[in-house]
Amino acid sequence: MVVATGLEVAIDGVARGLSFALLGAAITLVFGLGNVLNLALGSFAVIAVVVAVAVAGAVGSVVGGAAAGIAAVALLGLAVDRTLLSSVYRSEGEERIVLGIFVTLGLAIAIDGVLFVYVPLTYSIAHGVPALELAGVAVRGSTLLTVAVAAPVLAGLFGFLDRTRLGTATRTVVHDETGALLCGVNPRRIRTLVFVLSVVLAGVAGLLRAASSDVTVAAGFELTVFAIIVAIVGGVRDLRGTVVAGLGLGVVITFANFLVGAYLANVLLFGVAVAVLVARPEEIS
Amino acid sequence: MIPAADARRIAAVTAALAPVPLLVTAGGATYQLRIFVLFLVFATFTVALNVAFAHTDQLFLFLGALAGVGAYTTALTAEAVGITAWATLPLGAVAAGALGAVVSYVAARRGMTVIVLAILTLSVQLAAMEAFVGMRDVTGGSTGFPFSGLSVDFVADAVGVDQRVAFAYVLLGLLVASLVGYSRLRASRWGTAFEVVRQDPVAAEAAGIDVVRTKVLAGFLAAALVGTTGALYVQADGYVLPSAFAFQAIDVLVLVMLVLGGSRTLLGPVVGAGAIVLLDELLGEVGQWRTAALGVLLIVLFLSFRRGIVPKAREAYDSYVGDRDGNDGTSDAS
Repeated sequence: MVVATGLEVAIDGVARGLSFALLGAAITLVFGLGNVLNLALGSFAVIAVVVAVAVAGAVGSVVGGAAAGIAAVALLGLAVDRTLLSSVYRSEGEERIVLGIFVTLGLAIAIDGVLFVYVPLTYSIAHGVPALELAGVAVRGSTLLTVAVAAPVLAGLFGFLDRTRLGTATRTVVHDETGALLCGVNPRRIRTLVFVLSVVLAGVAGLLRAASSDVTVAAGFELTVFAIIVAIVGGVRDLRGTVVAGLGLGVVITFANFLVGAYLANVLLFGVAVAVLVARPEEIS
Repeated sequence: MIPAADARRIAAVTAALAPVPLLVTAGGATYQLRIFVLFLVFATFTVALNVAFAHTDQLFLFLGALAGVGAYTTALTAEAVGITAWATLPLGAVAAGALGAVVSYVAARRGMTVIVLAILTLSVQLAAMEAFVGMRDVTGGSTGFPFSGLSVDFVADAVGVDQRVAFAYVLLGLLVASLVGYSRLRASRWGTAFEVVRQDPVAAEAAGIDVVRTKVLAGFLAAALVGTTGALYVQADGYVLPSAFAFQAIDVLVLVMLVLGGSRTLLGPVVGAGAIVLLDELLGEVGQWRTAALGVLLIVLFLSFRRGIVPKAREAYDSYVGDRDGNDGTSDAS
């Protein structure tokens, strides 16, 4: 019985960890490439959920709704990149980092403010995936869905970066911007592509969260914070580290939730972030 | 001693603000008094952030947590020991100051950049919020508890004014004291150290300035002021609620106020706080849009108006006056 419960919690933890990994990867990609810490990331996730629920209700298809939600955040991401982030990228070094924090914080507050006016309710997605029971271990449908969606998305992300020409170009810009420029890669284009990619990852994470629990506008900031903590623990420029950190933190937090309750579990999460920052402050600068 | 120019400015602000509580309550308007009290509280928060962030590059994103630590320490020890909260207020200030000093010390020692300290303090802020809400037995959880330990009934009765009016003067006193303290600090050798450390920490260290001590002093003073103000803030509210200390409820507003008013200026925090509180009131007509408007304002401020109102106004005034009194013309000391 204890073993079965432990296994159930562990499986939930892995699913949560995969969601964390998606969010952390979204922070890591953009920070690694352009030194912008996207504090509005969670707001994009919420927008994906809101659009998905509205469209799913209108067309009667959850998949159609999800696709519309992802498309909406991709478009919004493109618009934000071309306007606000262009202004941020004009400055350099520490100045750009600080400017990036404030502009994306302002964007997060602005988006949340608008969402509070128009969509003040809670939103969830009826995915219709049945629960599974295997040898006494019950796995929720939303957990199955999360694993089934997040794992291929992450695999696809690594495939894109490792195997495609565009992915190679992206990694080149991360390592050496001037070198990339000399090889005929336009860093600004790559940044746009990666920013859109990052908000799409956040959108997927948001949709998965809405499949397992209710999402409110206030969840946006919470998702952003989770994403940043995962990215910090994983080493903010290290994508593989971030994915591992996401999985690890997901399992730890799910067990902590189960054993000591949500408040202490969250305090633990912030404590881990503080400890990592104190131990390795040079990681992100 | 404080510079004569600063003394004149502080006197002018005090003279302008002093009649406000009596004027707005002449017709029994407690709502306007409430707005004025909010303005005083946030102006004082902004003076503190000016020291930490603008002068020593320590981006404190845990003002809410510091205010909460000050308020909870003051209120809870007063209740536990059974003495007046006025006696425990210094304890609240020191508790918040100590937290600020520890964070500053660790950050300076570990050579944290602005962004690392920002994320660190944001994590502390969010952990503190979880603690305020989660420790139900001690803090009363999200429903909080009523608090009137810092009431000034005795003075109010003696003078014959409403308690809330008298309390507004306590807050005004704190703001004026913090401005005087800020002016003294800036004119002292610490002020010079702040400036040098901010511009080039390596050169400062080489010139014999203790960078860690300088930052810890700034962090302690700013945090202690925030803690004190936080305790007085809950008295003005009459209730200790965790939501009052949320990141969105304090830090975001104070940042906007500081940048809007003008970093590293004496009156910038007062002007910025006044402008935002007034703007908030004007937006009250379309109240639901205030959060969105604040976000847009934050973006616009940082992308195109980073110098702030006070330096801009000063430039305009200087070019108008010309070199009538050249000694005070282009200095940064507004």
